[in-house]
Amino acid sequence: MELKVEHLSKSFETKEVLKDINFTFQEGKIYGLLGRNGSGKTTFFNCLNRDIPFEEGTFTLIDKEQSRPLELEDIGYVLSTPNVPEFLTGREFLKFFLDIHQDKLDEKKTIDEYFEFMHIEKEDRDKLLKDYSYGMKNKMQMLVNMIADPNVLLLDEPLTSLDVVVAEEMKQVLKSMKKNHILIFSTHIMELALSLCDEIVLLNHGTLQEIDRSHLTDQELKDKILAALTEESSC
Amino acid sequence: MLETFIQSFQVKNTYRVNTFIYSLKQIPILGKVFKDALYSNYALKLLGTLVSIMTEILSIFLGKFLYITIMVFAVITLYPGTSTVNFVHVLFFLTLIGALMNTYMFNPTKDKYYAMFILKMDSKEYTLSNYYYTMLKVIVGFLPFTCLFGILSKVPLWICILFPFFIAGCKILANVYFLNKYKRTGIITDENHPVKWVWAWTAIFLILAYALPYFGIVLPLPVACIFMVLITIGGIFGVFYLQKFTLYREIYKIILTNDNMNLASYKTTEISKQTVLNRIDVDTNITSHKHGYAYFNDLFVKRHSNLLLKSAKKISLTIFAIIVAMTGIFFVVPAFAEKTNQILLVMLPYFVFIMYCINRGQEVAKAMFMNCDHSMLTYGFYRKPKVILNLFKERLKSVIIINLLPAFVLALGLVFLLAITGGTTQFIDYPILFFSILAMSVFFSVHHLVLYYLLQPYNAESETKSATYGIANGLTYLFCYYMLKIQIPIFTFGCLTIVFSILYCFVSLFLVYRYAPKTFHLKN
Repeated sequence: MELKVEHLSKSFETKEVLKDINFTFQEGKIYGLLGRNGSGKTTFFNCLNRDIPFEEGTFTLIDKEQSRPLELEDIGYVLSTPNVPEFLTGREFLKFFLDIHQDKLDEKKTIDEYFEFMHIEKEDRDKLLKDYSYGMKNKMQMLVNMIADPNVLLLDEPLTSLDVVVAEEMKQVLKSMKKNHILIFSTHIMELALSLCDEIVLLNHGTLQEIDRSHLTDQELKDKILAALTEESSC
Repeated sequence: MLETFIQSFQVKNTYRVNTFIYSLKQIPILGKVFKDALYSNYALKLLGTLVSIMTEILSIFLGKFLYITIMVFAVITLYPGTSTVNFVHVLFFLTLIGALMNTYMFNPTKDKYYAMFILKMDSKEYTLSNYYYTMLKVIVGFLPFTCLFGILSKVPLWICILFPFFIAGCKILANVYFLNKYKRTGIITDENHPVKWVWAWTAIFLILAYALPYFGIVLPLPVACIFMVLITIGGIFGVFYLQKFTLYREIYKIILTNDNMNLASYKTTEISKQTVLNRIDVDTNITSHKHGYAYFNDLFVKRHSNLLLKSAKKISLTIFAIIVAMTGIFFVVPAFAEKTNQILLVMLPYFVFIMYCINRGQEVAKAMFMNCDHSMLTYGFYRKPKVILNLFKERLKSVIIINLLPAFVLALGLVFLLAITGGTTQFIDYPILFFSILAMSVFFSVHHLVLYYLLQPYNAESETKSATYGIANGLTYLFCYYMLKIQIPIFTFGCLTIVFSILYCFVSLFLVYRYAPKTFHLKN
């Protein structure tokens, strides 16, 4: 499976944020999307998720020689600030989610099995989501995105505010998910991108640029990324 | 202190100017032409400053003019006795209410937060300089109108001149009391959440202000004057207390971070979001046996019963009480029954406005966004046409049912009132009256929900981003207000209402089914 982004352009008034982007993402990989503040990473995600209109561009999903436009149900979007319906308990949110996706679920697990998988404690499962900690909300957001099993998962700095234990748990979850999926992971933290992601993609000056990391040590790769960003920014 | 005041005034002015430019950008269609560069446009900044100055001048005079005209001058014309003592009496007692209800100092506003917590201005200097400015505005703003309307009411000029100083004195003394109370007990006063005794104080002085003169009982002029002079002098001494007081930052840290506010991300939208969030019923024993979307919506309604069901029940009870009270009055004053009958026969349009006021649709839509759609709209599946429409159907049912409760009580009550006040020559008027009230209720329920789905006005930060939504709501209000002036027989207006409501519902539902999947998303 491949996600092909073609001629994507997006401007805010006179500022061109994404300039005729052409890029192909492949299944089974986690892509680390790196860029400076304001470089357009979230805008890129918002375009893919159809949250904002864009001037031009197509998104195509190519699977086994067959291609079709990318649909909403193909995408899961995990935001840096977790969004969950605060009036429901964790269990109720999962029940609702499983109810409306039941015809699509291949592997049916019980609600508690899902909670176990995401390391959500028994005593927290029947608490209102408004009383969940930041990390727990984040886990719930990730969990429903996993259950929906989208082909493409967009992750907008999802680990930035998590404690080290939860962050490590989430990293393992993401690694376990990459098979049969395309994961695009946006972050500011270079170490995180290098340790988690299979490919590094820079978004700078409105274009996507893949960094070839073959035969490079982590330090050499870091230097290369910094050089690329510095070079670009000084243009 | 002067420097702090000038800085804070500049901040406030910049905020107003930018709000003015921002509102230009929000005008439908025209707004798209304006670019962000407008914020640096010198001419527009100048225009914005002029608007800001005019707003400041209006804030000094307009409110006070309306207050004296409507709350005092217009009312005393209804009373027997001399207007002089009535004017002094009413304004005297209203001032005692205003001193507690409108303190300025204990009103948590965003400009205070920006100044003291974001811009790190000295809390005492900021508070006092702005407070003195506010008191100056009170004196300057009231003076022309206490003189004008006082002289028209034959009040001696020196009392007219004394009044603004008395008003400022009352406010200062009230603040001294609240500051001292905090110092002694640690109990803070929040102007937006008056405690019970303040409400009782308000009720008592409202009765003293307005009811007593009706029976010819007023505060003797010399007594009022002695109090006014004493309080004015007390106010001057109060200033010394305000100057000596040091705990302003401590107080504002509490006021601006109470359960209505979120200091970490303070915004007006954050306040309203937090307010709606606090309305979630925390009882997790509340359950639902439904499935899918119905389950989701059922839990939403049950967990927001405080906001939705309880207020509908309260409105229903109030309507019931009014109808019982009116029935009682009919027996005591038969002429009132006759008049009511005449009114009911031709004033059905009036109830369009009443139904608009009691309909919970707009508040329900807001709660839906703040506590539910705000988070759910970030999920792709939630924006699929099938999900949007399924949930819309569930919500519509709930909103209609919630609003039908008070509508049913009102409809039945009106039929009852019409019957006992002499009835009507046409029997058909009874069912028409009954069903037209229900139709209005359904109409407003559909209207608010459809507007929300078609114009979803909020962005991810819960800020309202659609001027069109505001305009549509404004037009709805104007339409309903206009109805107050129309007099049409029950049969004609009732039939028109029922037919219009049915047609409107069909058209709106069609529009939602056609366009909501495209329009129902977070605004950018």
